[in-house]
Amino acid sequence: MTLPLRIPSGIGSLLLALLLAGCQTGMRPVQGLNQQLNRLGDSQSPSLSGDWLALITSRAGSRPQVQLIDRRRNAPVPLPGLNRPDSLPISVAVDQQGERLALVRQRDDRSELVLHRRSLQASQIIPIEPAGVPQRVSLSADGRVLAVEVSRAGLWQVDLLELP
Amino acid sequence: MAIGLSGCAWVPFRRQPAAPAGLGLESRQQPALSGNGRLLASLVERGGRITVLLQERLTGRELPLRHLRNRQPHSAPSLSWNGRYLALLVQQGGRRQAVIEDRATGQQHPLWLPAGQEPQHLSLAPDGQSIALELINGGSRRLQVFSLANLLEPDRAPGLRESGGGPEQQP
Repeated sequence: MTLPLRIPSGIGSLLLALLLAGCQTGMRPVQGLNQQLNRLGDSQSPSLSGDWLALITSRAGSRPQVQLIDRRRNAPVPLPGLNRPDSLPISVAVDQQGERLALVRQRDDRSELVLHRRSLQASQIIPIEPAGVPQRVSLSADGRVLAVEVSRAGLWQVDLLELP
Repeated sequence: MAIGLSGCAWVPFRRQPAAPAGLGLESRQQPALSGNGRLLASLVERGGRITVLLQERLTGRELPLRHLRNRQPHSAPSLSWNGRYLALLVQQGGRRQAVIEDRATGQQHPLWLPAGQEPQHLSLAPDGQSIALELINGGSRRLQVFSLANLLEPDRAPGLRESGGGPEQQP
């Protein structure tokens, strides 16, 4: 008995094309993780570190939110205390332990820089000094240094902070 | 003063101004730290073109990049643990292309994607063994992760070695 060949479409075609392209350059798609990412819908602002992938997802009809995926299980982990119904995440970064997440989010027409510690389920707003509008954040994999892009008086600058 | 969390105690953050990228005030965007925090990549304007700049974070000393001239505008820099690898997006013809520069060997690795897949942003894993690409396809943004284990040697923190299925601490 022969089974009908099912021609993939949409995401299937994308996966196949990426698989073929990847094989030509020595890079290979991480299949299980990519299937999980496809299920999460529109995604942006990736941050890979150790066993963790932090990202911002935006499903149709719901607010964008930060997700943290455990790459050993290809599954998101809960982030109690981080995503708020009154804020919009703009940029996220994670350290290699999956313990610290640095986040720029918009809340009440203001942008703020936040450091979240997962073990404490606590977020701390980091003041921008001198005042400015944070946009994009980077966290060193060791979790000790944070760099943030800040707009001040029409100029983009980079602030560096050593974290305790 | 800014304050932060350290265990259960509240202690101050230490602020450090980014080292100057040139003479006077200039715009600087899209910072990316190496895994150990020693190097900082960012985007500055050079000769009217957006160009990636690699510096030591503490001294501001600029480090050379061999293959990236004339491929501006650059965007989305990302560094491995020791900064051996710099991944970023460059202009290739009319398209944006992801590339990885190996600062140890001087090699450049272009990451080819199928036509229609436009990389928008990326993140290189600190060990250089995988990369996440944000791709625009038909108006939607998707993340896809690729293994680079067949392409790049690991760039790990000192004291880590390969053993069996993965890295572990040396005794």
